[in-house]
Amino acid sequence: MLAGQALRPGRTAAGAIGTDDTARPAPRPLLAVGLAIAGLALLPLGYLVIRAIGADVAALDLVIRPRTLHVAASTLALALLVGAGTVGLGVPLAWLTTRTDLPGRRLWTVLVVVPLAIPSYVTGFAFLAALGPRGALQGLLAPLGVERLPSIGGLVGATLVLVLASFPYVVLSTRAAILRTDPTVEDAARLLGDRRSTVFRRITLPVLVPAIAAGALLAILYALADFGAVSLLQFDSFSRAIYVQYRASFDRSLAAILALMLVAMTLAVTWAELRLRRRAVAYASVGRNTRRPPTIVPLGRWRWPAVAFCGAVVGLALVMPAGTIVWWLIRGIGQGEPVRLVVDGAVNSFIVGGAAAVGAVLLALPVAFLVARHPARLTTFIERATYSGYALPGIVVALSVVFLAVNAIPFLYQTLLLLVIAYAVRFLPQAVGSARAALVAVGPRVEEAGRTLGDGPLRAFLRLTLPLLRPALVAGGALVFLTTVKELPMALLLGPIGFDTLATEIWDAASEGFYARAAAPAALLLVLSAGTVAVLLRSEERGQ
Amino acid sequence: MNMAPVPAVRVRGLRRKYGEVVAVDGVDLEVHPAEMLTVLGPSGCGKTTALRLIAGLETPDEGTVEIGGRRVAGAGVAVPPERRRVGMVFQDFALFPHLSVRDNIGYGLRRDPDREVRVGEMLDLIDLADAAGRLPFELSGGMQQRVALARALAPRPDVVLLDEPFSNLDAALRTQLRGDVREILRAAGTASVFVTHDQDEALTLGDRMAVMVRGRVEQCAPPEVVYGEPATPFVATFVGIANLVPAECRAGIAATRFGRVRLIGSRSAPLEGRALVVLRPEHLDLLEAPDGPADPGSWRVLRRRFAGTEILYEVAAADGERLWVEAGPGVRRLRVGDTVTLRLRDVETVAFSSGHPGTTGVVPVADTPAETEPAGPVR
Repeated sequence: MLAGQALRPGRTAAGAIGTDDTARPAPRPLLAVGLAIAGLALLPLGYLVIRAIGADVAALDLVIRPRTLHVAASTLALALLVGAGTVGLGVPLAWLTTRTDLPGRRLWTVLVVVPLAIPSYVTGFAFLAALGPRGALQGLLAPLGVERLPSIGGLVGATLVLVLASFPYVVLSTRAAILRTDPTVEDAARLLGDRRSTVFRRITLPVLVPAIAAGALLAILYALADFGAVSLLQFDSFSRAIYVQYRASFDRSLAAILALMLVAMTLAVTWAELRLRRRAVAYASVGRNTRRPPTIVPLGRWRWPAVAFCGAVVGLALVMPAGTIVWWLIRGIGQGEPVRLVVDGAVNSFIVGGAAAVGAVLLALPVAFLVARHPARLTTFIERATYSGYALPGIVVALSVVFLAVNAIPFLYQTLLLLVIAYAVRFLPQAVGSARAALVAVGPRVEEAGRTLGDGPLRAFLRLTLPLLRPALVAGGALVFLTTVKELPMALLLGPIGFDTLATEIWDAASEGFYARAAAPAALLLVLSAGTVAVLLRSEERGQ
Repeated sequence: MNMAPVPAVRVRGLRRKYGEVVAVDGVDLEVHPAEMLTVLGPSGCGKTTALRLIAGLETPDEGTVEIGGRRVAGAGVAVPPERRRVGMVFQDFALFPHLSVRDNIGYGLRRDPDREVRVGEMLDLIDLADAAGRLPFELSGGMQQRVALARALAPRPDVVLLDEPFSNLDAALRTQLRGDVREILRAAGTASVFVTHDQDEALTLGDRMAVMVRGRVEQCAPPEVVYGEPATPFVATFVGIANLVPAECRAGIAATRFGRVRLIGSRSAPLEGRALVVLRPEHLDLLEAPDGPADPGSWRVLRRRFAGTEILYEVAAADGERLWVEAGPGVRRLRVGDTVTLRLRDVETVAFSSGHPGTTGVVPVADTPAETEPAGPVR
């Protein structure tokens, strides 16, 4: 669901963005369009806040109900465990792939990031289908008389799945910090009298702490926002509790209160993450003019244990889910699962994803143009506003849009159009990020040349700049498409009745225990996840 | 040579290869106590590698290193860097980004009971007591530089190694810090090795300077000797501007097309026969030629270069020979194409026999990289 956050399009300060010598004021019509888009993006968050302000005193009673407190405690426990688990996996992996002679470093580097692209409900489903009471393992053990395995749900299962889905955040963040850190600080420490092992304890690790912590907080954000895995594994974190509450009763104010509590938690973590990220960047800014590559530590006899560790992580996070899905796919074909359902789901997913991608790119262009060509406080605000939906958990956005539609625009409630608009706005930052980077790279001179040759501003943009932006727009659109196809909670809450996508099909089948039926759409989503990785890697290469 | 003080650093026959590339090729160096030795060379000449070999951050293939009279590398000895009593100031300062100025300076004093006192002394020495609590990224480049120096000096090392410590700073700051660093090191009384590719730095800072090229030390002497009596054609053209002028040598006198010069130095004086004489721009007087038909001995101005306090002209003879000449204060501003005559002053200089490696196909001085040219010749 949140896999798109792997991209995290840069949040540079406005002043640093423009290549303009002097920032000119933006044309008014364009500014109006930008503000309208910002308003649209702020709607879900704004609506929740208004609801909260309007809530009566009874709402406070809801907050301190035992049930609410239980959910909050569960979510906190999950967040802490995921943070600890992702650090435990991510830091050694980052160190091994950057600072040691680990065999096959490049391959491991790619493999350990891939899990981020797989939706958590697919991983969750794969775990249930493999290790659950009636999963593949039970099937293999059946000849030995094993009728039923103990449940893997709850805190343990949810932690396991979410750690395996989100540890790449810690790997990426730590790797980047290692590569940015000046390796001569270690030389300096040795010349001041420290042995190699002491240098690791006094210098190497402490310098990385902000980046490691920031990565862990990203993983925690992922866990807080996760809906699919915790729901399938029946763990009562906020996301699941909100959904259950929403489905169970006509009084939806408790769902709204839970959603607001989740938003508060998310904002606190986001704030801490930004602060730590800033600190990590500041550390890396010290003396970075001359850069030597990091010193490589020979692993010696730890070589093969290290490979085994990487293999175990990749095995659990990638091979096992993929293997389980293939296992059930084969069984499903054997049992004659209807293929039609998969085709319907795929067609629906592609329609929604394609429409959302086109919409996001169209909305992204004015925003990216404003912030790249007319950096100013107002345009920065517009760009930041487009992130508000992206930063919120999907279940919260979905709930807010439902409230909004029911109360203000009932004719759009449960229509395909509303679903597409919601997706396009929510994943807008992915399209803005790549469009803005490309606009900055192209620079205003090309358009200015066109102006001197007789084109009006719009004409110069359409004739000259737009064609140059095409690869970036396609990449951004592809990312929005893939993220939309994999998204679950909005599809569940906002989709028209009877409108099944790949995501909802997997969720329905898996939560009913029909593993074989979920296998085919899950396999298709795995392939699409690989597509996400390819798009990200390609745009990374272009960026370098 | 009895009872000579123990040198702070003594390097003998140091060699280090990276694959096929010989980075350091038989270097001998000595650093006397409390002395600053500058090492000058073009980038890639092996000067930084030599420094890292002394520090123990690299291991030599051959040769020995002694610090404070104690063997630390070579002949079966390999003392790790943390036990060499060497301080180092890195090109990018390498400050510990997570530690305050105070903790950076105190880093090497972990077991020192007087740690606080020493850190206070260092803070006063670099005049940063007010900034003791700040983190490195909150400091300017010049402040970072001074913290790096204080951190290296705090544990009272036998020698401080400085690896192009000013190359990341802008020109104005560089000049100011040059004086500061020299002053701080003198006050501390610590021997130092200062590696640089900036000849101005090497000439003005060093008590002695070593000129390195292709992994070897070409000359090691006080700066005025390196300038006045360069040991090789490379040193002559790399340090300051040198015209290499053909001459016929006999009995310590070289006869050039401008007249005679006395040869000095143990290698130049005995030279006989054809040789190349080093003539600095200030060795020649530039005179405006009277208007009229060009005299066969006259020179034509090719270009002018303003070098801060004086003006240099590149001039060409009818036979194509080119020279750089300094214009005295009496000479009016000349234009390209003007004709001038040259007159040799009463000077002493060195010569190289024509067979000397490096004298054949000498690169015209004008083509030496800009960074190796002086802001003004040193007298």
